[in-house]
Amino acid sequence: MPRRTSRPAEGDLRTVLAKLPAGTTGDVRVITSSSTTIRFANGRIHQPHLERATHVSFRAAEGGRLATATGSDPSAAGLKALALTARSLSRVAPVEQKFPGFASPKGRGPSRTVYSKTTADLSPEEATHLAEELLDTAAAEAPGSRVAGFVHVGHDVLHVANSSGLDRTTEHSLAYANILVRRPEHDPPVSGWSEGAHWDAARLEPALLGREAAERMARTTPQPVEPGAYPVVLRGPAVADLLRFLAHLGFGANGEVEGWSCLGRFRGKKVAPASVTLLDDPRSAETIPQAIDYEGTWTARTPLIEKGVAGNVVTDLLTSGRLGRRLTGHALPPEAPWGEYGPTPSRMILGKGDADEDELVRETRRGLLVTRFHYVRVVDPGRGVITGMTRDGTYVIENGELVRPARNLRFTESVLTALKGITLLGRERRTYFDDGSAVTAPPVAVRAFRFTSATLF
Amino acid sequence: MEDLIRTALAAVDDPGVVHADVRVVAPYRFVQLAVKNGAASALTDARTEALGVRVRTARAWGFATTTDLRPGPAREVARLAVRLAQAAGRHSREFLRVTDDPAAKGGRYATPLKVDPFTMTFDPVLELLTAAEKGLHVSRAVKSGMATFNAWEENKWYGSSDGASYVSRIVHVGAGVAATAVRGSNVQRRSAPTSFGGDFSQAGFEFVESLDLAGRAPEVGRQAAALLEAPVCPTGPTTLVLGSAQLALQVHESVGHAVELDRIFGSEAAFAGTSWVSSEKVGTLRYGSDHMNVVADATVPGGLGTFGWDDEGVVAQRTPIVHRGILVGTLSSRESAAELGLQRSGGTARASGGDRAPLVRMTNINLEPGDSSFEELLEGVKEGVYLDMNRSWSIDDRRLNFQFGTEFGRRIVRGELGGMVRNPIYSGMTPAFWASMDAVGDRSTRHLWGLPNCGKGQPIQEARVSHAAPIARFRRVAVRGG
Repeated sequence: MPRRTSRPAEGDLRTVLAKLPAGTTGDVRVITSSSTTIRFANGRIHQPHLERATHVSFRAAEGGRLATATGSDPSAAGLKALALTARSLSRVAPVEQKFPGFASPKGRGPSRTVYSKTTADLSPEEATHLAEELLDTAAAEAPGSRVAGFVHVGHDVLHVANSSGLDRTTEHSLAYANILVRRPEHDPPVSGWSEGAHWDAARLEPALLGREAAERMARTTPQPVEPGAYPVVLRGPAVADLLRFLAHLGFGANGEVEGWSCLGRFRGKKVAPASVTLLDDPRSAETIPQAIDYEGTWTARTPLIEKGVAGNVVTDLLTSGRLGRRLTGHALPPEAPWGEYGPTPSRMILGKGDADEDELVRETRRGLLVTRFHYVRVVDPGRGVITGMTRDGTYVIENGELVRPARNLRFTESVLTALKGITLLGRERRTYFDDGSAVTAPPVAVRAFRFTSATLF
Repeated sequence: MEDLIRTALAAVDDPGVVHADVRVVAPYRFVQLAVKNGAASALTDARTEALGVRVRTARAWGFATTTDLRPGPAREVARLAVRLAQAAGRHSREFLRVTDDPAAKGGRYATPLKVDPFTMTFDPVLELLTAAEKGLHVSRAVKSGMATFNAWEENKWYGSSDGASYVSRIVHVGAGVAATAVRGSNVQRRSAPTSFGGDFSQAGFEFVESLDLAGRAPEVGRQAAALLEAPVCPTGPTTLVLGSAQLALQVHESVGHAVELDRIFGSEAAFAGTSWVSSEKVGTLRYGSDHMNVVADATVPGGLGTFGWDDEGVVAQRTPIVHRGILVGTLSSRESAAELGLQRSGGTARASGGDRAPLVRMTNINLEPGDSSFEELLEGVKEGVYLDMNRSWSIDDRRLNFQFGTEFGRRIVRGELGGMVRNPIYSGMTPAFWASMDAVGDRSTRHLWGLPNCGKGQPIQEARVSHAAPIARFRRVAVRGG
């Protein structure tokens, strides 16, 4: 049985586009994907999921009126039907004055991005085996604990064409996993966490993730900590969460268009120490590479913060037209979960420093080590204030040592304050993947981070 | 579709499989129309199809799905589901148990509606949105206005190896307006009927017309601009009167999720989290004050969590969850109910589409009304705040420590509503918060709110649920200005 994505017969996108009536233009995306997700909890695999899907979207533009129709039938008849639906919807749309037209096919494309055929070819049994490795390692490292988490391996082909003559195809591979080791019978319950993502499943290192999660689980009873501002050492998953919100609130194009971006007043100004450089680099092998965006524009390295100085927002066709700024190739897939923010950096890489995690802790006189955040939400977009909980491995640091596990705390803090307060960056980076967004980041130390309340565990 | 289901079920020919069910959702339609600052923000018409096969062996489940509804791919994913279950079962030492529920046999369910949004043209919808959005711009401080309309249509065929079958067509609609006023870093948002896309119902376009978005828009715009001038919400423990829309979300986050039996048993531990509720305390745990009565009701007209049968073929039910402050029930699937020792599932296993396996989900989780009018709720307050319309929400992974921000607040002084305050935030701990509820509004203060974006599961599933909530009063709540 062929194990790779079996692609259903795809109609000729250019033929459908060529048949659009005069005055109408369009672009089409066909995303063919195959993935296996193996969830486990309480030591057993409880939700294995295999998915083969095709999603097609057709966007029509008639005299500045834009509309999109999406479906799951990529055949010639399916494409034709979608084109008709999009056109009929666009006729009733208000006119978008600043739409610059569809992406140009001109300009030589950069080389292909890295991709793992082996990952695309993984069988359900092989994906299950990755989950078993995680489970077995954690069980061996923390006998008697309960283990939960998941492994996801996937592959997709993105084909974009438009009536300007652009016709580009790219393939992506993705593997990511996370693991939680916990003792719910402990009062209060204790837990430890680890996660990682790679474009190559062979480099996912499930045994390492399992060991880390087990090591990070508290061995003694977590103690309450008074809310307040503390120096913090943030492990990679916590850093990734903060950077995703910085991307939404500070580098998302809609915030700039609508005047509420938390970085709007700070472009070209210093917002972080000179040691901080943040890129969006979808072409790097250090992230989950993406050669083109969902409008077919070649992706490129985009500096977001260079030596502490804030750069510009990222754009797609529509927002580059509205803002009169360069097109950066950040169009989202249709119905993206963070669509309200508009085009947003989704392959961020934070520059590394030269300290290991232990050194970050050693440099902290009195503070907290945070492994991960939970349920982070925006409180005040204009000031970049967000809130969320710590979870799965929070520790008190005293005189450069982890002295005891802490009960979890709620933070309410501005991402700008956190950014400005970065004092040290770790040297080991890992990629974290969530909701279509990859962040490659080291652990960091932050001078002061505000915790506003505490929970009971 | 029945043929396709039979084809998939026939392909599950492994003797180790003790149960199989197949759902075909075709078409699943989603229409989103939005007007933002006079231009089309998102005009999307999605029409997708999916078939999902779920199998159970003695020790494990397997689920596989395809968007290709031809017999060949249907057979292929059926066999893949079996392979997944076999691979998963290698690691399981325990046998799976499920409840034995009466099967749906040829059942039919359809949303009662007057104006089908999927057979009408979109011109009147765009006209309605354009007029409503224009009405938001009553002040130069309003930098962004948005009017949105969403509609979903789910046509589902269900069949299982034990002979159960049903067909359903469910239509959900909703709409809303929102204005964002900006001055420097001061960003204020007001929306109607509530935040995050407005209000939603299982109904036809008549529901959207009844919202009178154009009529509400100017006041929404005025309030957004006025909030820029309003003082920051005062800080300190105080009496909190919560509006119906915000209380609906409070119920969702601190009751609905906490009583999902899969969370209680740890199935969601790594992602959504677990619960402060433990299974052995169902029937004895004090959840809140005597004024607190909550039901899970999958039969209430207009609810987004209303259906004929759930995605395991179990009939829709009304289940008491909290009675006079005591936890008396949970939300359950056939597997989690059996684990709790129940004879029957609570019928709340729902999938977001044919491409997802069912999980324990909320249906319509409703806070029952009390007997106070809004004026009576205020009369008992010497000093406090009235807050409504969610702006931010966050809660810990056991559903204990929560913090909610609302779009606006009004001071309450000696039983009267006073001026607006901006950036209000309240926080608390679930059981202490519900224990502090000393009065609940009557039916005149209650509304059934539709919530279209409840996320759970991996791959993620977005469920649409509803919550009926009155206005209610809470004592000594931590409130502050953000």
